[in-house]
Amino acid sequence: MLTIKNLKASYNGLQILKDINLNLEKGQVLSVIGESGTGKTTLGRAVMGLLEGRCTGEILFKGKNLLTCPEEERRRIRGREIAMVFQNVEDGLHPLYSILYQVMEAVLIHGLTDKKAAEKRACEVLELVGLDNRRSLAYPHQLSGGEKQRALIALAVVNNPDILILDEPTASLDALTKAEIIAVLRRITREKASLVITHDISTAADLSTHMAVLYGGRIVELGATGDMLTGPRHAYTRGLLRSYPNMTTTKDLQGIPGRMSHHVEGCPFHPRCTQRIRICSAEAPLPAVEGNRLIACHRGGIVPLLEVRCSKSFGPLKVLQDVECILHEGETLALIGESGSGKTTLAKTVMGLLKADEEEIRLEGKKVTRRTIDFYKRIQMIFQNPGESISHRMNVLQTVKEPLDIHKTGNEEEKLERVRQVLNEVELPGDDAFLKKYPHHLSGGEAQRVAIARALVLNPKVLIADESTSALDASVQAKILKLMMNLQEKRGLSIMFITHDLALAKKISDRLAVLLKGRIVEEGPTSEIIYHPLHPYTRALIDYAPLLEDRSARPAGSRWARRTHSGTCGNSLQAAPRLKRPPSATSTGCPYANRCLAVKDRCLEERPELIACSPRKVACFYPPVDYKIQSN
Amino acid sequence: MHVNYWREVHTTGPGRIGLGLLILVVTAAVLAPLLTGYQPAAYTGAPFMAPSAQHWLGTNDVGQDIWTRLLYGARTSLAVGGGVALLSLCLSILVGCSSALLGGLYDRLMMRLVDALIVIPPVIVAILAAAYLRPNTVLLIVLLSLFLWPGGARVVRAQTLSLKERMPVYAARTFGAGRLHLLFNHIIPDLGPILIALIIQDARRAVFMEAGLSFLGICDPTVVSWGKMMQHALKFVYLDVWRWWLLPTGFTLSLTVMGFTFTGFALETALNPRLRKEAGHADN
Repeated sequence: MLTIKNLKASYNGLQILKDINLNLEKGQVLSVIGESGTGKTTLGRAVMGLLEGRCTGEILFKGKNLLTCPEEERRRIRGREIAMVFQNVEDGLHPLYSILYQVMEAVLIHGLTDKKAAEKRACEVLELVGLDNRRSLAYPHQLSGGEKQRALIALAVVNNPDILILDEPTASLDALTKAEIIAVLRRITREKASLVITHDISTAADLSTHMAVLYGGRIVELGATGDMLTGPRHAYTRGLLRSYPNMTTTKDLQGIPGRMSHHVEGCPFHPRCTQRIRICSAEAPLPAVEGNRLIACHRGGIVPLLEVRCSKSFGPLKVLQDVECILHEGETLALIGESGSGKTTLAKTVMGLLKADEEEIRLEGKKVTRRTIDFYKRIQMIFQNPGESISHRMNVLQTVKEPLDIHKTGNEEEKLERVRQVLNEVELPGDDAFLKKYPHHLSGGEAQRVAIARALVLNPKVLIADESTSALDASVQAKILKLMMNLQEKRGLSIMFITHDLALAKKISDRLAVLLKGRIVEEGPTSEIIYHPLHPYTRALIDYAPLLEDRSARPAGSRWARRTHSGTCGNSLQAAPRLKRPPSATSTGCPYANRCLAVKDRCLEERPELIACSPRKVACFYPPVDYKIQSN
Repeated sequence: MHVNYWREVHTTGPGRIGLGLLILVVTAAVLAPLLTGYQPAAYTGAPFMAPSAQHWLGTNDVGQDIWTRLLYGARTSLAVGGGVALLSLCLSILVGCSSALLGGLYDRLMMRLVDALIVIPPVIVAILAAAYLRPNTVLLIVLLSLFLWPGGARVVRAQTLSLKERMPVYAARTFGAGRLHLLFNHIIPDLGPILIALIIQDARRAVFMEAGLSFLGICDPTVVSWGKMMQHALKFVYLDVWRWWLLPTGFTLSLTVMGFTFTGFALETALNPRLRKEAGHADN
């Protein structure tokens, strides 16, 4: 219905929109999201023909190019076929006329001459948006913010336009009003093609079917809303989602480094991007179709940095069985599992400290056959106990400098400079007194920071943290984790976080992989798994994750009793029925069969494979029924 | 965490005695020209002179000053002891560390070689080898080293096997460190105390074996040696000379060996925390 081709817009020579290509069909709601200043409103105004700057390209509406059509024609279309709900409710309404009168005016302008009919139509629409007759006679200053927003919506939809442009329809509204407005908008937009311009991602998520992310005047990612929310593929989209406070994702808020600028050569996002390469600053990437997405990125979106598939056994004991995981750039993957599930073995195998029976490891897309010194430059590990992993014969300087010595980077002065820099990064003093300290002079938190500094000194892209904070106090742990999250934000560090602490993983990870007896049994976005665990083992882990609540004050069975996802209150593990024939360790069945509440005969005989159950994967024959298992 | 081995050793009784004896012998050897006016090979007087102001321990059968020969004999003993200790230690480290780090077939072959060398009686082979080649001090050092390294290699290998499983070594491996880096930066520094103990032990055995071999006549004929002195002295036991010829030499040798033994014993106590506790130095 509306097609935008190569749209460019500029004010006083400053290009705000660059090569926008969009297509809007009837029934589609396309949300355009992005930081303020990315050109969202400019895009809406360009479609309306209300732009003060210069516009080139094509905006095709029902086959007509709006940019070349005469002003007369545009005026006819504007408000009648393409209408806009303007941002800023305070300024959109005329203070001297009643709401009803203003809505009527919109009808009368577009040709309806009968005043009575116009009033009837206006009343209908006002009713539709939730303003009754009495309120519609009021003047703008007598209305609340929400009511004004409704009035503005009525103003836009009264002529039943084909295309509706909503510019920040929910900005500055409280949550309940927002919900009502969104409900109204959902009803209205059903039959139209709509463009929702917003920085409020939750509004976009609620309203739109598709989502376009605008950055620096270019569309950087475009796709179906649901997909985009669970699996953003452009670094900027991910940054936006991470910085947006909401009740769905569980990871701590993270921002995007740097600030936006319009005078950027090449990809508009590259100064802030943590995975930029040389070409990014030279030329702007063209949008390309990647799966079900349109992504404008030279690297094809967020790159998978580390892809691991390995098996490892110690004698007859199979510790890792065909474990497969992918770590993307700038993401935290938490590996969760009880002790003995193979977490540390996986870390050591990836690092080459243990020889795998069978492995396929790709680092930045390249297959790793031998672990050369360059491999270790890209990927580093932090060990569990800092006191042990730092040699007691080395002081802080020697410890942090050791990787530099091994890699023979620079002369002594440069090394010292780098050591001070990296110590500074982990918030440790870089003065001579500290550099001369030995591990036993350091507190646990300091020692772990030194260990982190040592792992970071080579500037790796991947960090494998093996229970790195489990030996520390909660308060020290919090600081260390903050530090790691900040580093991730700043330089796009990918972290494989190995832990048995689900509560911790929830706070810091983007994705979660649950390991059980050397197999991954569930894997997917953290919030998805925490709130809707499918595998019974995951559910048990969640049920027993640390809580901070006084359970005695909340009688069992009440709404506030301990939240459990397995549908029971209290100790479901104790209530687990013991099987008559417990599956032996070598049995071919499901590894969780001997502890599972919902175990069936099939679980004892066959081992479930990991099956895609979008957006996650789960290895269980009988996940809760309300989830549709998709075959891949 | 850091054990001060020096303090541990020199504050214990045996440690003090051992170090004292060693220092005494070493000083005597080093300062030999100052402590006597004669040359060891010079004929300085009549044979079989009793101790006097000119000849503190009298003279031997050809009129050489016994005190002088005793002092210069210490040089030979210590040179052989030190040389053997260093050479065999190097061999021990080389074989022990490489076996532990490389492992596999190489490790097994090397350890069987060690087993084989340990059961060969050194004296007989030394006699045969010396008879075949012309005996001299360097040859003796090499020969003795070849017999002494296997024991040390076993100890070093065992310790390296344990050290290479330590976290700092793992950590260094994750920085891409090669075996040599691990060896020189992590393993050998941690082997330190054990290496010192090995040196002392090897030196003790070398001193004793050198004396024994030269007693049997396996030695450089131009070099003064305690073993040779005792063997000569034994020929004249029917005279009184043995009192100032045989006895002082035997005593000096025993004291040197005891010096090494006591120092080694004290070191072992310091190295083994359990022994240290019993010795009452746990809180030092």
